[in-house]
Amino acid sequence: MEINQITENKQDYMDLLLLADPQEDMIERYLEDGDLFVLSENGDILTVCVVLAKEKTCELKNIATAEQYQGKGYGKYMVRYVCEHYTGRYDLMYVGTGNSRKTLDFYKSCGFMNSHIVENFFTDNYREPIYEDGLLLTDMIYLKKKLDTEIDVKRVVDLALEAGRILLKNGGEIFRVEETIQHICRRFHVEDVEIFTLSHGIFMSAEDESGDAYTKVRHVPLSGTHLGIVAEVNELSREISAGQVGIDEAFDRLEEIEKMPAKREYFQVIAAGTGSFTFAILLKSTLAESMVAFVIGCIIHIWVLLAKRLNFSKIIVNIIGGVIMTALAILVLHMHGSGGLRLEGMITGSIMPLIPGVAFVNAIRDIADSDFLSGTVRMIDALLVFVYIAIGVGSTLAFYNSLIGGLVL
Amino acid sequence: MIREILVNVLCPFLGTVAYVVLFNVPRRYYVSCGITGIVAWLVYLGASEGMSSAVASFLAVMVAVFLSRMLAVRMRCPITIFLLAAIIPLVPGAGIYYTAYYLVTDQLSLAAERGIEAVKIAFGIVVGIAFIVSIPKEVFQIHYWRGRKRRKRLKDMN
Repeated sequence: MEINQITENKQDYMDLLLLADPQEDMIERYLEDGDLFVLSENGDILTVCVVLAKEKTCELKNIATAEQYQGKGYGKYMVRYVCEHYTGRYDLMYVGTGNSRKTLDFYKSCGFMNSHIVENFFTDNYREPIYEDGLLLTDMIYLKKKLDTEIDVKRVVDLALEAGRILLKNGGEIFRVEETIQHICRRFHVEDVEIFTLSHGIFMSAEDESGDAYTKVRHVPLSGTHLGIVAEVNELSREISAGQVGIDEAFDRLEEIEKMPAKREYFQVIAAGTGSFTFAILLKSTLAESMVAFVIGCIIHIWVLLAKRLNFSKIIVNIIGGVIMTALAILVLHMHGSGGLRLEGMITGSIMPLIPGVAFVNAIRDIADSDFLSGTVRMIDALLVFVYIAIGVGSTLAFYNSLIGGLVL
Repeated sequence: MIREILVNVLCPFLGTVAYVVLFNVPRRYYVSCGITGIVAWLVYLGASEGMSSAVASFLAVMVAVFLSRMLAVRMRCPITIFLLAAIIPLVPGAGIYYTAYYLVTDQLSLAAERGIEAVKIAFGIVVGIAFIVSIPKEVFQIHYWRGRKRRKRLKDMN
């Protein structure tokens, strides 16, 4: 037994659709724009169903089961399937039907409740009177079903937390993480949510209607920054809030977003070099010094990439980074011999690729948002990088100084 | 003169774009990041004529972050991307070098001077960002101002 959505040749199912709606031109009104679902088993078509989706709601326009298979629960199975299918993207499922006890009871057993009545719908819109169980149908009775009841609080929490984790890991601010989690929860009608976010962990607890709490903690170790991913998750969260993305699709999208690759390595290396070059010029180095800065910047970034692959800690990366840039500059100074190059002209620009911009900016934002705990942690993280670089540069200079007896410096 | 202009516009642009590449900022934001960098640098350059570099950094960051917030609202993306661009031309990278240099060459008063100056610039940046970031976000949305005009007009009519 399987259910498929049909997108082509919808007319082929007209025979069955006519069982539920006897006038063909009325069916054609919604068949083109509506979604057609077909339940089949071993090639036999058992049940068909058409749902027409509008902005925030959708309407079950037609459902019919072939006569020989009626009364076996296929219809109910189909209704449950389409309700789950539209849950997350739409708030309400409507269904309109004639005043027939049998059909009304069927929908009520599927979880629908009375909504409203459109008077004389059948007599106004149908050329021939319709009788069901010997009664003439006149008014259209609308029933509705809230689609969020199908949603599991746990799944919503998992989704929100996953989005939050990806944001935090890739350089999102605390307030952005919490806002995103709240937006996702609110969209899926999980109202009772408490979130506590730190720079490297998210604690989250949500309550469902019966008062059961579901709590989850996620540890998010500090790691590389990828602002492209932050921008994508941000966009996804917007779409979720606007109701354009369902919960299953959101999970898939998140998984896809996380796989987004970093910029190609040679491109990063060239960027680091270019940055070093331009900042060297801005800091009033000569052209020759800036060219050296370009090369040093490239080499520094190659070291950063290598260290990332080998999982070196920040202390090592930045101290050795400082050592490398100073040693290279001293080397060039000596090779060049005749002077004209200054050490500071070569080094000040090439510090650029090591500057922890995102940590610094996020620290400031967190502190400005009164997230002092995370703000301080990140600020220390950023400031220590400066200290490490200074240690690397300083110790190399001191070593050089003692080597040549403090003459050149 | 032309060379000056070229250096002071092209370099911050290229440098800022190059820097945000390292943080994997999507390509569609490169130009706006570069412009934010140029603005930060030019304001800094202009202001540092008559003021200390810390105050100049503070002013430059204020202007650039203001621009960042408008860009973030307009382009519907996290402001971090533009903040990064706004601070990078101002970060006291050179200060680190000089502090370390004077420390190891035993010129302690110069080292302290350079170190404190770097810290002051950092503070200027921090306060500049914190100031602008604390403005409520409605101010940066166009309909706030339209609504304000309408409210004002209604008030005048009464």
